Amino acid sequence: MALINVAAREIHCKIVYYGPGMCGKTSNLQYIHAQVPRDTKGDLLSIATETERTLFFDFLPLDLGKVRGFQTRFHLYTVPGQVLYERTRVAVLNGSDGVVFVADSQRSKLEENIKSLKELAVNITRQNKKFQDYPVILQYNKRDLGDVLPVPVLDKYLNGMHWQRFEAVATTGVGVFDTLKAISKLVISRL
Amino acid sequence: MDPQLTSLIVPSEEITKVEECLNHLVEDTGGNYALLLDKSGQVISSQGDGDRQDITALGALIAGTFASSREVAKLLREKDFRVLFQQGVRENIFIALIEEQWILCIIFNKGTHIGLVKVLTKKATDELATVLERVRQQHKARDEVLGSSFRTSMEDTIDLLFRD
Repeated sequence: MALINVAAREIHCKIVYYGPGMCGKTSNLQYIHAQVPRDTKGDLLSIATETERTLFFDFLPLDLGKVRGFQTRFHLYTVPGQVLYERTRVAVLNGSDGVVFVADSQRSKLEENIKSLKELAVNITRQNKKFQDYPVILQYNKRDLGDVLPVPVLDKYLNGMHWQRFEAVATTGVGVFDTLKAISKLVISRL
Repeated sequence: MDPQLTSLIVPSEEITKVEECLNHLVEDTGGNYALLLDKSGQVISSQGDGDRQDITALGALIAGTFASSREVAKLLREKDFRVLFQQGVRENIFIALIEEQWILCIIFNKGTHIGLVKVLTKKATDELATVLERVRQQHKARDEVLGSSFRTSMEDTIDLLFRD
C-alpha cells in the first residue's frame, strides 16, 4: 500500500525484486544505483553474507523530486533468493506496492523459477492481497548466456498472467531500466 | 479494487496529531527520538534530536527487523507479537506495532527507564491507532489529493530519470 503524506507532500512506493537465488536481483539494483543521477539516489544498502549473497535484503531509495508538488520516492528492495530464506522473503514483501519477478533464463533454472513464482503467489495471497490484481513485471534475465530457453517457452511456464515482460542482461544493464520504468508506471497507475 | 492495494492518504491535520503524539512521547520519556513508520518501512513522521543521518535507511531496517522477528514469533507459535526491544551500548530501541499497519519506535539512552518507555509507548500506540482508524475511514479520491494530471507528469519524470 503506497503512502501519501499530504502534510509533507510526499508519496512513497515500495517495489520488491523477487526471484530464485542468483537470478540477478541484486545486479538490477547495482546497475540502477550506478546509472541514476547522484541527486536521485540514496546509498545502496546491502545486508549480505561474506560471499556477497543477499542475507536479508538490498535497499535502494530513489527520489524522483517534485512532481505536481509531491516529492515522490520509490524504495527498491531485493529479497534473498535462496530457498532457505523463505520466511525472510515474507518479511521483505510486507507492505510492497509492486514486484519485479526476475527469472533466470537458463534451461537448468526453469524449475527454480516456477517454484519461486508459486511461492510469491502464496506470499502475496497470505498478505490478504489478490495475486491476479497485484502489480507484477516479469524480467527474463541472463539472455546473454549460452543455454537459455526461448522467450515463448518461458512465457508458457511463467507468464500465464500475461504480465508485461522484458528480456535482460542485468550485469550490463540491458533491459534493467525498461523493467524499472514499467513497474514504476504500473505502481503509479494504482495509487 | 482490492483495499489492500489502494494508497493510504494521511491528511495534514492527522500528521499534526502524529507529530504531537511523538513529541509528547519523546518529552515524557526523556528519550532521544521517536519515529512512526508504515509497515513497508516508509517514514511517516519523526521527532526528536535533529542529527539523525539516514532516517530512510533506518526506517527500512527497523521495519525489516520487526517483520523478521514477527516471522520468528510465528515459528514459535506466538499468537500476538507486537513489541520488540533492542538493547544497545549507547542507545536502546523500543518498537511497537499499531494495528498491523504502522510501527512506532522510540530511541532512548541509559537515562530513560525501559518500564516508563513501555507504559508511555502503550499510551501513544492507542492514540495513534485512533488516528490510523480515522485515516482509514476517510475516502478521499486520489485525484482530489494529487490532481488529475499527476499520472502523466509522473510518467514523464520516470522516462526522464530512469535511463542509461
